[in-house]
Amino acid sequence: MSLTRREMLGGLGVLGVAAAAGGGVSLAAAPAVAQTLGANETVETGLARVFGGRPMKDGAGLIKLDVPLIAENGAVVPVAVEVNSPMTPQSYVKSIYVVADRNRIPIVTRVALSPESGKAYMGANIRLGETGDVRAIVEQSDGSLWQIKREVKVTVGGCGG
Amino acid sequence: MAADAPDYSRVPRWSSRAIPEARGDIRTEPDGRRVAVRYPGWSTTDYGKFRTYAYDDWRPEPTVSRAIAPAGITGDPTKGRALFLNRQKGPCTGCHLVPGDDVWPAGSVGPDLSTIGDRKLPDAYLYQQLWDPRVVFPLTVMPPWGLQGIFTPEELVHLVAYLQTLHGPATPEKDPNRNPFTRARPVGFGDNLDPTNNPGVVRAEDAEALWKERGPAGKACADCHAGGAATAMRGVATKYPRHLPAWGRVMAIEDFLSVHAPPTTGRTLAVESADNVSLTMLVKMASNGLPVAVDTSSPEARAALARGRVSFGRRVGERNHACADCHAVDQGANKFLGGRFLADASGGLTRHFPTWRTSVNDAWDLRRRFQWCMTPLGMNMLAADAVEYAELELYLAQFDNGKPMSVPGIRH
Amino acid sequence: MSDIGKVRLRLPSTIKAGDVVQVRCLIIHPMERIERDKAGKVIDKKYNYITKVVVSYLGKTVSTFDTTQSVSENPYFAFTLKATDPGMVTVTFLDTLGGKYEGTAQIAFG
Repeated sequence: MSLTRREMLGGLGVLGVAAAAGGGVSLAAAPAVAQTLGANETVETGLARVFGGRPMKDGAGLIKLDVPLIAENGAVVPVAVEVNSPMTPQSYVKSIYVVADRNRIPIVTRVALSPESGKAYMGANIRLGETGDVRAIVEQSDGSLWQIKREVKVTVGGCGG
Repeated sequence: MAADAPDYSRVPRWSSRAIPEARGDIRTEPDGRRVAVRYPGWSTTDYGKFRTYAYDDWRPEPTVSRAIAPAGITGDPTKGRALFLNRQKGPCTGCHLVPGDDVWPAGSVGPDLSTIGDRKLPDAYLYQQLWDPRVVFPLTVMPPWGLQGIFTPEELVHLVAYLQTLHGPATPEKDPNRNPFTRARPVGFGDNLDPTNNPGVVRAEDAEALWKERGPAGKACADCHAGGAATAMRGVATKYPRHLPAWGRVMAIEDFLSVHAPPTTGRTLAVESADNVSLTMLVKMASNGLPVAVDTSSPEARAALARGRVSFGRRVGERNHACADCHAVDQGANKFLGGRFLADASGGLTRHFPTWRTSVNDAWDLRRRFQWCMTPLGMNMLAADAVEYAELELYLAQFDNGKPMSVPGIRH
Repeated sequence: MSDIGKVRLRLPSTIKAGDVVQVRCLIIHPMERIERDKAGKVIDKKYNYITKVVVSYLGKTVSTFDTTQSVSENPYFAFTLKATDPGMVTVTFLDTLGGKYEGTAQIAFG
């Protein structure tokens, strides 16, 4: 089975470990730059680093970002992102990024999708250091970037916790 | 239902079978300092000055006290506002709303103070309120801040000055969630029984391995309780906590494991040990969906309930708080304490314990929750398996009767 | 902690050929956060956290999460895939200490 370039870049290999993932496909070690998604930096630096200043369009209407308005604690904040996309080889969502503006590591996670995903959807629990914006940034197969964001307030208790 | 008068004459003494961090011990250092032995990360301050739930602690509540402001201090509203918001003190915002975009999250247990300056209350009246509000409101849940020394007299003067600056008209809210009276209620953490949502379920399910594993005495739980925990233990936990004649006291599953495991399997299963909590979850899960059915009618149950009821309403610690202050309707229940929505105990709050706590990524049983509630409020905790806690638990569990068990829960 | 690496996977109970199914998985993992000393300086040590979550089905990678210390401890991940044929879904988690953990679930049409 031939490897697509995307499969190689999205592959395993943080420590050079190649693992067979069913059906005898072996995924080669990815280049180092693909490993450091997150870094200790400001959100402005992180966005510049990852997206290189490319323009981002307003994702309202295209992207549905599901985050609580109030997070009961910053340790576990559920995030779900859904993008309106046909997910065909001609037009699909390549990546969904989740960004938390006030985190020490603001680029939280990225999921690389494929037409086989069927739908442009992801969910995960993230950490929020403090009240601030959470963004979903979507990269389409045509290279365009779309963004939507919402403020999540992180709450604390009264006295006992 | 008339409440029985509590009788403390025949409560058994109990020697704790909890892990060292959970016994409520106070250690005296070589230099004479008293240091509390508690869970990792918890304060080590000794609050021995303040009364506890212990049945032999008959110290009275702090005496209601009148006071006047010290002379010669001009109140500074800026200092007062900083004190009002200070989380090392109250924070006052835990119960009271005041203006400001930086006020997050204020609570609604107490009245909104945003325009209290308009009432033109005398400074002396406000000072007395902060010193000891019980002079004016004998049944208030507000602590006697000045009397207990949580604020100094000078700090109280600054707080009064700040309150007197709060005039209307109130600024329209930009965000309805800032104001606890219009804030959305917490939505929770979803399906507590889904192992892809609640890590506590993963831990509880995997305790089956411990159930089947032989202890030092060469026996496993499974040797006597055949068919897997889900079958062997089905229905058992619905009756706990209960009075056990063999031990002469009320016990929950956690307490019982600590006395049952050593003579049978040879395992210690100390209360609050990870294995005790895991096996407690496993045993309770076997009753999921079944209604709680704790005994409330036998003489022993009634005696325990009478004492538990007193504990629920008993003012303890530096803050002089009772469970009822937060968890009874007409007091704090169904209001916000800071950002936390306070639950009403009469709705039944015990049937999801032990619960997974997302903020600490660990499973907590109800005893640890009891210990957590009051320790930061300046009270020395009792041992996790103390009879006082077991009877308080029974008092609370009666409100779960008839409702289906669902263990483990998932909470913040 | 011996619990590290336990995985749970959940699929819908009935799947028809061609359905886009939503899958949830959870892994027990500390996702260690950066620690600072009393002076606020970052403590230099090898933090143990998951960096990759790879979803494969029918021999192909369907989706890949790159993850950081901003993801929660004991994280869950949700994703979708188009259930074209019966077969195994495998989710592989890799962490910074060389840990490799796997969870699988079978897609069958019913």
